[in-house]
Amino acid sequence: MAVSPSVLYPASYEAKVTSTTIKPDANSSENSSYQQNQFPPSHSNNEREITEQLNDDVRLKYIKDKRLGEGTYAVVFLGHLRTKPASFVAIKKIKVNAEYKDGLSMDAIREVKYLQELSHPNIIALHDVFSSKDQNLNLVLEYLPRGDLEMLIKDTNIHYGAADVKAWMGMLARGVWFCHENFILHRDIKPNNLLIAADGEVKLADFGLARSFADPYLNMTHQVITRWYRPPELLFGARQYSGVVDIWSMGMVFAELLLRVPFVAGNTDLDQIAKICEAFGTPTEDNWPGVTKLPNYLPTDSSHVVPLQGRDFFLRQFPTAGPVGADLLMSMCTLDPKKRSTACRVLQHGWWSTEPKPTDKKNLPRKPDGIEKMGHDLTRRGGEVDDTTFKNAARQLNFSGARG
Amino acid sequence: MIEDDFYRTSSQYRLWSFTEASLKAQRATTNAVASDRVRAAIRRAQEARRSATSSATGTPVPEVDGGGGGSTSTSTSKAEEKPIECLTPEEEQQTVSYYCEQIIQLGEAYKPPLPTIVRATAIQYLRRFYLTNSPMTYHPKQIMPCALFLATKTDNYYMSLRQFADGVPGDTTADDIIAPEFLVMQSLRFTFDVRHPFRGLEGGILELQAIAAGQGQPAPHAPPTQNTPELLRRNLFALPPPTTTTTTSTNPQTTTSSSSSTTSTSTSTITSSTPATAAQIKDRIARAHHNTRELLKSAAQITDVYFLYTPAQIWLAALMVADPPLGEFYLDTKLGTPPTTTTTTNDQTSGQLAALRAKLTQTLTACATMLRSYHPLASDPEQMKTLRRIIGKKLYHCQNPEKVNLSRPGGGGGAAGAKRIPAAAAAVAAAAAAGSGAGESGTSESEMERLAKKRKLEQGAARSKDIFGGELVMQRTKGDHH
Repeated sequence: MAVSPSVLYPASYEAKVTSTTIKPDANSSENSSYQQNQFPPSHSNNEREITEQLNDDVRLKYIKDKRLGEGTYAVVFLGHLRTKPASFVAIKKIKVNAEYKDGLSMDAIREVKYLQELSHPNIIALHDVFSSKDQNLNLVLEYLPRGDLEMLIKDTNIHYGAADVKAWMGMLARGVWFCHENFILHRDIKPNNLLIAADGEVKLADFGLARSFADPYLNMTHQVITRWYRPPELLFGARQYSGVVDIWSMGMVFAELLLRVPFVAGNTDLDQIAKICEAFGTPTEDNWPGVTKLPNYLPTDSSHVVPLQGRDFFLRQFPTAGPVGADLLMSMCTLDPKKRSTACRVLQHGWWSTEPKPTDKKNLPRKPDGIEKMGHDLTRRGGEVDDTTFKNAARQLNFSGARG
Repeated sequence: MIEDDFYRTSSQYRLWSFTEASLKAQRATTNAVASDRVRAAIRRAQEARRSATSSATGTPVPEVDGGGGGSTSTSTSKAEEKPIECLTPEEEQQTVSYYCEQIIQLGEAYKPPLPTIVRATAIQYLRRFYLTNSPMTYHPKQIMPCALFLATKTDNYYMSLRQFADGVPGDTTADDIIAPEFLVMQSLRFTFDVRHPFRGLEGGILELQAIAAGQGQPAPHAPPTQNTPELLRRNLFALPPPTTTTTTSTNPQTTTSSSSSTTSTSTSTITSSTPATAAQIKDRIARAHHNTRELLKSAAQITDVYFLYTPAQIWLAALMVADPPLGEFYLDTKLGTPPTTTTTTNDQTSGQLAALRAKLTQTLTACATMLRSYHPLASDPEQMKTLRRIIGKKLYHCQNPEKVNLSRPGGGGGAAGAKRIPAAAAAVAAAAAAGSGAGESGTSESEMERLAKKRKLEQGAARSKDIFGGELVMQRTKGDHH
């Protein structure tokens, strides 16, 4: 690692505490005009502990407006800055789960922990966190009124093309790259976790399943990522994996954007493996050394071995991507995680610079009624399946099954 | 973007990094506010008691017998008149440091022991907590287990609260542990990520091992003396022996200058002394790795370095303490040799690198000094004597009576959803609990008086067991002798 050249820095503590702007830019240390006295003078308000006063300072910055959505896990409100009524935010109030005896739930902890660290145009911004009465946790999130990618994919009235897909994928890839660069795995990338801002920017949301990269040889759970977007190594029960699990999910989103239906949509984990094998080829020790050693690996019937699909398969399946796009997709959907592209390599791919150029974000197709969708998306617990999605999906699958 | 840009967006930098002056000011403020509040609270309790005694028609309310504590109503009323002596910021810090050491011990007691990273995170939580809270307001023995449990959750070392509570010695219940969770999270300002120096150290050691194997990668601006893997390797093998007094046996032929002078540590010049063997170098790197890690697990946790330096600065400084020539050598491979040697800075790059190196050396030296200054409290009789005075005596008298009971009144169950009760309600709850326990307490007592009694009862009982007033402490000293 590089030697960090920074030496004693000015304390930026004060700047953050007293700042009234929403999220200060990354380098906010300059505007610390409030030196010392970070906290209210010691005798002004003796009724409250320092930490309570600090919390009140944050809480009073915002005004809660109408309710946008409610789930079992959270309620989402529209809100705005007290000082600036036009500056909207989404306030996600996490419900205290009385049945969970172990304190704040892991989803909430993960979400807060990682969003506090990530500040990037393609990741939903966490402006503030405060507690309201009765120990409710309130996350002040970026206001993203244009719904999510799932909504656009499903709406048959919306027409979009390769240039639009390139723009969306580019924004997704940058967000994922930033997570990985900060040693964070998202572990739940899917279209309805990709929210859209007023200016068309795609934002990665829902960090309820995120975690830091594990140190070498330490195990992680394989029960993550919504099934249709889950990579084969997790389906085979791998306990040690890397950022490329998210890249597989990205590849699935890419495919879905192109096809406008989920590409490999299994009904069960086993079915998911079967569908992946059918689509991309059967994993073997040849094309994926070590695969047979994975805990949940199931040997395939030798009569059903599908050869590994090459570039022409992807080009045939995804003609709108063009040859370069098909190549990128293939690199993201490589079965062997060691050979799959990393986020950095995805960003270096030639597809981004080939024609057509990505659509300017202000010209991207949009849906007018996205606010409700945001309220709905944000109330989900990390990894929680959206009922409506799956109902639709089940219908789709049955339908296709009936046809043959 | 470079690494520094990423670090500056971290909550550790944004909220938990200070200069020495701002850190000191922060602690002074916290201490001043807490002292005022403690004095006010104790005065309120005393007044309540006085009015209660006068209204109780002269009959002195029988004092609860704290298990042979010998406390009678006369002695307490005498104590009431004394001015309340509060902890100083330094005493608060010592108290917190002691409980940070306890986290290391408590983590060790689990089977298997809690990972180093979980313990380190918990310690930083506790240290951050006490930047805005005083031990006089919230006793660290109540906060410490909660900080550790929270760290198991935030650092992916998942265990149930029940499982965790089983590992906490004494009669601390799951409810006791989880009760202050929200308070702790709020004091952490809902930032849970702690950037540790451990991973950086692993990377540095891997690099040194690669250099030893002749597979090192020269830095882009490496001077001609070290711009091939082979030159790097040769320089490493020609290093003078470590000058620190390491415990393990080293090359016997090398008993050179003893003290910590940093003058002769410039390493790029290939010295005439016989180069080390591959096995010796391997051994040396392993030893430096181990000793640096030990420093990061102890001194780096209990001192202020996390508040004052970046993770990279911390592990580099620790390496400088563990094996100064090796540390300097590592910096040489990144930034070139310091300008004091033969190389004259004629081109701009090397000039910039030299300036950077000088600046970095200054920072690392300051950090290393702080790391060296740490001596474990628990193994030092003098420090323990001081601590016994602070925690056992002084803190006992200046504990805020309105904050003693953090958990929900007994029997309610469900600590997780436990709403933190305001001080007044807590007083009632505590009084109710005390009342049922003490039995004979008169009905005319005010809430405050009963609360004060409850506190005496609790603390008296704990005190009779151990002057430190903590079952954890007892347990720790018991398990300490292996």
